Amino acid sequence: MLRRRSRLIGGLSVIAAAGLALAACGNSSSSGSSGSKITLTFWENYGTQLSLLNTAKNLIHAYEKLHPNVTIKMVSQPANNYFALLQASAISHTGPDLAVMWTGLYLPPYADILANLRPYISQSTFNNIEELQWGAEDFNSSKAILAMPVDAQFYMGFYNKKDFAKAGIKQVPQDWNQLYAACTALKKVGVTPIVYGSASASYTGEFNPWYDFSYLMIGALQPSQWEDLYNGKIAWTSPIVQDQLARWHQLFVKGCVNPDALTDANNLGQFISGKAAMTTDDGSWDVGQFTQEMKGNVGAMPPPFSVAPQHGVVYFPGDAISVMKESQNIPAAANFLAFMDSPAGAAQIAAAGLIPDIKNYQSSNALNSQMLGFVKSGYTVYPMLDNVTQPQIVNVGYQVLPALMVGQTSVASAVNAMYVKHNELPVAQRSSYAAYFGG
Amino acid sequence: MSQQAEQTELARSADQPDAGSAGLAGSASHGSPATVSSPARTRLTRRRRIRPARIVMFVTMIAVAVVMLYPLLYIVMTSFKSEVQYELGGGFSLASWRILVSSQPILRELLNSLIVSSCAVALIVVISTAAGFAFAKIRYRGRTLVFVLVVACMFVPLPSIVIPEYVNVSRFGVLDTYWGAIAVYAALGIPFSIFLMTTYFRGLSDDLIEAASIDGVSMWKMWWRLGVPLARPAMFTVAVLQFIQIWNDLLVGLLFLQNINDRTVTVGLALLSSGRVTSIPVLMAGSVMSIIPPIIVYLIFQRHLVRGITMGMGK
Amino acid sequence: MSSSGRAGRMPAGLSMRPASPFRLAGGSGRNWGRSQRGAARAGWVLSLPALAGVAALLVLPIGQAFYYSMTTWNGITSTWVGPDAYLQLFEDPTFLRVLENNGLLLLAMPVVIAIPLGIAFLLHEQIAGWKFFRSAVFLPTAISWVVIGVIAVRFYALHGILNSMLSAVGLGFIKTNMLGSTHEALAALAITLIWSQLGTNTIIFITGLAALDPSLAEAARVDGAGPLTVYRRVIIPQMIRFIQFAFIITVLTAFTAIFSLIFVMTGGGPDYGSTTLEFYVYQQAFSESAFGTGALLGVLLFVIVAGISVVQVRVLRARI
Repeated sequence: MLRRRSRLIGGLSVIAAAGLALAACGNSSSSGSSGSKITLTFWENYGTQLSLLNTAKNLIHAYEKLHPNVTIKMVSQPANNYFALLQASAISHTGPDLAVMWTGLYLPPYADILANLRPYISQSTFNNIEELQWGAEDFNSSKAILAMPVDAQFYMGFYNKKDFAKAGIKQVPQDWNQLYAACTALKKVGVTPIVYGSASASYTGEFNPWYDFSYLMIGALQPSQWEDLYNGKIAWTSPIVQDQLARWHQLFVKGCVNPDALTDANNLGQFISGKAAMTTDDGSWDVGQFTQEMKGNVGAMPPPFSVAPQHGVVYFPGDAISVMKESQNIPAAANFLAFMDSPAGAAQIAAAGLIPDIKNYQSSNALNSQMLGFVKSGYTVYPMLDNVTQPQIVNVGYQVLPALMVGQTSVASAVNAMYVKHNELPVAQRSSYAAYFGG
Repeated sequence: MSQQAEQTELARSADQPDAGSAGLAGSASHGSPATVSSPARTRLTRRRRIRPARIVMFVTMIAVAVVMLYPLLYIVMTSFKSEVQYELGGGFSLASWRILVSSQPILRELLNSLIVSSCAVALIVVISTAAGFAFAKIRYRGRTLVFVLVVACMFVPLPSIVIPEYVNVSRFGVLDTYWGAIAVYAALGIPFSIFLMTTYFRGLSDDLIEAASIDGVSMWKMWWRLGVPLARPAMFTVAVLQFIQIWNDLLVGLLFLQNINDRTVTVGLALLSSGRVTSIPVLMAGSVMSIIPPIIVYLIFQRHLVRGITMGMGK
Repeated sequence: MSSSGRAGRMPAGLSMRPASPFRLAGGSGRNWGRSQRGAARAGWVLSLPALAGVAALLVLPIGQAFYYSMTTWNGITSTWVGPDAYLQLFEDPTFLRVLENNGLLLLAMPVVIAIPLGIAFLLHEQIAGWKFFRSAVFLPTAISWVVIGVIAVRFYALHGILNSMLSAVGLGFIKTNMLGSTHEALAALAITLIWSQLGTNTIIFITGLAALDPSLAEAARVDGAGPLTVYRRVIIPQMIRFIQFAFIITVLTAFTAIFSLIFVMTGGGPDYGSTTLEFYVYQQAFSESAFGTGALLGVLLFVIVAGISVVQVRVLRARI
């Protein structure tokens, strides 16, 4: 028995020794430059999202061909805790050169570990980028540029054309009444009008309400008024907000929504198969899958959450890449990002099915084209509401808004929760965007 | 299974005069120097008849086993579906396994997990067995305070201290080796393990130790030749529970093993459940890979859990 | 202590009032071994590695976390805020709501102890196939919280396994959607917690049974006690320390270690229905990059869990 225990300890020591040996020959993660050869490390949190992964791979491939002395190493990091990891790596000086970053109010907490790219990229490149301000300091594109957008994203609803035809819906709904009417027609032919679920949630176990909430606020307010939501001039408890939320809840009351809206893990599958006719809780990230599996049967539909005909879209570059201040290769890294947002880079991004974030881009994908068409035809452009709302309130929204949709909580108590949280924020976080940056 | 039902069964078996179970007689005995009679031998000395109580107990355990094992079955079955098959139901496919293997160096990650977990567990077992024996059996000034201090550390949740821990450890420059993670894991596991070890040691009667002390044995020998062998069940439990805990940990592995070659399997699998797109079958395939080593560790060492003790030294 | 007729006298030497797991064997009696000083030195040396490791790698960051809990700290810069951070938390109505959820989770504790205890006893009886059953109970412990959560979502879904089982036994009219209901989500979480702790607690109790002195049970049986009485009067009292231990460990897990489970199952909702204190402040810390708030969580949870542990030790000590 003693022998067995020593054998056990002996076995473990062998493993430990092997581990030490392996560790000794593990390469370090620091990027060095010997001679003119440069290696850049790029941290991404794309998980298994093929469109983003392929975009990155395409860009890196093309860039390395143009610049043979540069190698870019992609390192995958888990999306959860990604930002904590990034901050931790800055503390220990073990961070990457390039790192995925989100724009809007996701940016300020990390502003002091990101490099200003303005000195390294030409103004003409900057001028060609859509909605650049959301990656800039104080959201002002004449100040420091901290993050370069990868692609332009839409929050968007989609509809199944065959289901619409089956129910005799000739025109895509553009306001609340038309939506309710479409609902009734679809229910008559046994199709779930709108399907919600957890499959397209990015951050919680239940559906992400901020896609719909963005459109609810589009139906009620102009883009400039959204800053009033931010600084409290328009309180979350104001009648405009409550009115929209009440109409949204009516969708559930009228049976337009699947009863397991909060827990359906297969909502995308139900939409693709035609069991459900519409999904409003969605965006450009599903275009690839929809195009592939539904072909021409799918159309884009800005959620018509408005009393008057709805002519707004959420068009926003949420995904971006930054250069870390700690990097030893800032010029080289910035050069790569300049390439990404150039026409040459745009071709690579488009090849992966995404919409490059440069001006006047034409897409060959039908859905992307349709969505860009809205912008071109003069629809008002809005940012993503959760990217311009304080994170504390976004978290409250994750809790109360889905519950509100299915009637687990009332409109009044839901908006009150957000209102109370808003008043708890330090003054700097509810006055201006610049104040949030600490400037 | 409710406690109520169990009491009813036992009451039913109480009517038989020879209702003493093999278990009570056959449990690990530390009191006698001889090897304990095996359950089989005990049973053979009794009349062989199947009592209804034991049938009920058997059926209950079947039900428990089904409830416990069904999710494991689900995981394995789901891993052999493709994404489409999973959403629409039915079918068999290796597609998810292919995606898993091509998306990350799973064997390398398993090796890393094995190294880190084994080293940390080895440290934990040794340190906690020593300290547990000392706290339970040796009287010295200040031990209660030290014991409470160590165990109280268990009550602080990891996310709260992981960043200060990270800042401290990063100053030693060990972040691109295994040692930072091993040290942190060991420290995190020690309070729980000491608590368990001490509880266990206190449950052991002092007779043997008294007998040994009469022979003039030093505390060291007492620990090494008496305490450690007696503690095998607890050492096993500590080892297995800590192994699984460390194996499945994400946060420490993510922060303290940033070198991608050192990445553990749990961190690697976290990539599969990231963000908007989660392929459940691929996640399940990864889970199968990740579950196997802890299961093997358990199966190899489980016989230590309930064994009669053969004493190395005579009475 | 009353004794049933069949149990007869209890064997001597069995302490009926076990001490708290935190208070070590008392008395100022002499140590065994050659000399008191030699023994004490051995004691210190044996416990030194633990003390050193814990001091450097746990106590130090805990102290730092306590300091940072009173600052706004994002890992790099911090501003002193003082105890205001704590006061603000207590004024937050959601915080009280969340504390209530923690309290409700405690209600599951008796079940989390009783079932594994029963299983441990069954396994101890060594019924046919007990080794297999022991493995079957324990192996699911290796499954990670995320995967358990993913399976749980499908189990509780409207068209999920739970409802299928219900309709299979003729209760198909009950269509549950527990995770979509503010009031039932916590119950679903509790059930999942019970399931996942089954293996760990059973193994802990089996370990405890392995430490038992069988002569006591033998003596009781010789006196004519039936198995039920033997368990109740002899074995369970000897197991009290392990029961206390399992209780503390389970409360610790439920209060500090199931963020991933909640995240995947419900995201804390609907409407904070399944948000525990850990989830609430973890989310604020890591999604709002306020590590100071996260440290605050640590201090609060420490106080709460330590408090509960002390209380349950006294409660379990009082009743036999």
